[in-house]
Amino acid sequence: MVLGVTNMELDVENVSFTVSDVEIIKSISLKVKEGQFVGIIGPNGCGKSTLLKNIYKVIKPTSGKIFLDDLDIVKSSPKEIAKKMGVVGQFNSTNFDFTVREMVMMGRTPHKKMLESDTKNDIELVDNILRKVNLEHYASKHFSYLSGGEKQRVILARVLAQEPQFLILDEPTNHLDIKYQIQILSLVQSLQIGTLAALHDLSIAAMYCEYLYVLKNGRILTHGKPEKLLTPALVKEVYEVDCCIYQNNDTKNIVVAYHPALPNY
Amino acid sequence: MLKSKFSFFTLLLFLIVLVFISIIASVSIGQVSIPFIDSCKIVLYQITGINIGHIDTTISKMTLEIIWQIRFPRVLLALFVGSGLALCGSVMQATIQNPLADPYLLGISSGASLGATLSIILGYQFNLFGESNLMIWAFLGALLATFLVLLLSSIGEKMSVIKLILAGTVVNALFTALSNLFIYFAKDAEGVRSVSFWTMGSLATADWDDLPLIATTIIIIAVFFLSQWRTMNAMLMGDDDAITLGININTYRKAFLVISAALTGIIVSTCGIIGFVGLIIPHIVRIFTGSNHHQLLPIVILVGAIFLIWTDLLARSIIPNSELPIGIVTSLLGAPVFMHMLIKKKYGFGGN
Repeated sequence: MVLGVTNMELDVENVSFTVSDVEIIKSISLKVKEGQFVGIIGPNGCGKSTLLKNIYKVIKPTSGKIFLDDLDIVKSSPKEIAKKMGVVGQFNSTNFDFTVREMVMMGRTPHKKMLESDTKNDIELVDNILRKVNLEHYASKHFSYLSGGEKQRVILARVLAQEPQFLILDEPTNHLDIKYQIQILSLVQSLQIGTLAALHDLSIAAMYCEYLYVLKNGRILTHGKPEKLLTPALVKEVYEVDCCIYQNNDTKNIVVAYHPALPNY
Repeated sequence: MLKSKFSFFTLLLFLIVLVFISIIASVSIGQVSIPFIDSCKIVLYQITGINIGHIDTTISKMTLEIIWQIRFPRVLLALFVGSGLALCGSVMQATIQNPLADPYLLGISSGASLGATLSIILGYQFNLFGESNLMIWAFLGALLATFLVLLLSSIGEKMSVIKLILAGTVVNALFTALSNLFIYFAKDAEGVRSVSFWTMGSLATADWDDLPLIATTIIIIAVFFLSQWRTMNAMLMGDDDAITLGININTYRKAFLVISAALTGIIVSTCGIIGFVGLIIPHIVRIFTGSNHHQLLPIVILVGAIFLIWTDLLARSIIPNSELPIGIVTSLLGAPVFMHMLIKKKYGFGGN
């Protein structure tokens, strides 16, 4: 496997994004060191996705700098960035039908010149990746007939075919059963390349992330290692929900258990 | 989706052979029937100079004239127009990520109609371009409509698919209303009839003089789009995914729309509005090839050509001593096929 040979560091400096005079994210700085799995948590509308979209170039920051090692993300072309950085987005669906192999092969797009065809290397790479995400028997199946969890694994495989040295996960496990959430995130973790992930579930975030940034109202409220950072007081402040946080004796994972409460509008 | 490279190339080869058979059949059939063998010999003689069985002397001058001056340019026009429309349809569907798109989406048909109406109804005042007056006005109309749609949809942050479709609808409505206004006030009944004929499409104007322009344009644009199959595949993944796959979606979308609109504009101004080809051929081909443009585009081009050659043959031979506008035939043939596809449900039209 060629993956994870080199590893890159992400540096976000004072990034702000304003749309029609509303500042959606405000001067955010964060860092993902080589090989680190870093999470962003925060309530709906806090700017998690907006921040990530700034990093993967779907939108352009109003101000601030974003660097992937020496690569200036704001100034570089999508193609240059796509050779280095892979993005698994929120649940993807396409209106048109492709086979699983064709979908994964699409990950080679940024590495291809205009008239270049798929080489033997590309085919081998795709075969390897399909094996890695356990989809080798699905290669000639239709993408549209797969289940949600399988589809997201195909998308992950497509992203891996880009041979990324850095990964961004934009709430990739939304709508997925717990089995597939764990499958996807464990796969990503096993790659050991720098990863920045927006996640909803705090227990899942604590389980996979080495470091967490907490976003609220477009600002970074606080950051730190999950075991120190996650406290009932913080969860109350960020999500307005009461909870207990403890370490499970069997798994040694940090678990967030919520108190039921009537919604307080 | 085709199981192997082998089956793809077999299909490709089969279709190429079918194109040649269609050409020969189409030049032979008509009000004057000419034996296939003679047609082959004449075409071969005219193109390469190879003279089998002294075809230049054994065949009447009229037969030679019918084949070489009337039918052959018309068949070639059908070939190029069919492949051009089917290609533009596929490109449009990829570019706006919508299976309902067709080449006329950007108001091109109504723009061209307005241009043609102006030229026919106000012909004497507006005859600036001599013999090709109608063609040039139709092309200018198509160009204006496309320009308006692109302008409307790119106001604001960035061009979105929804804005494009809505802008297309609005421009269509406006230009159709304008054409109708001219028709309503027109005193010239013959002119109104010609406008309405023009909008139904016809390949009858084909001749050797106009053919090179349309043929070269279509060939160049086809080669360009064939080289862009990766970009089009990535586009089908949606805007965000296309960007993360390294495709600068805004630039490519605009470029593809403009190029495809230019080609459609040339086609429309040459032979009027021929509906359904650009919508239906890509869908039919996708049943066999899937959505991968690497295989889809070459097959679409060939199937579009074959389809239009045969519909044109039908259009000019179904009624004795007269001919139906080809737009009527493509829709009469296309609609039932589309209905059949809808009922069968096996094919999802991209909607799954």
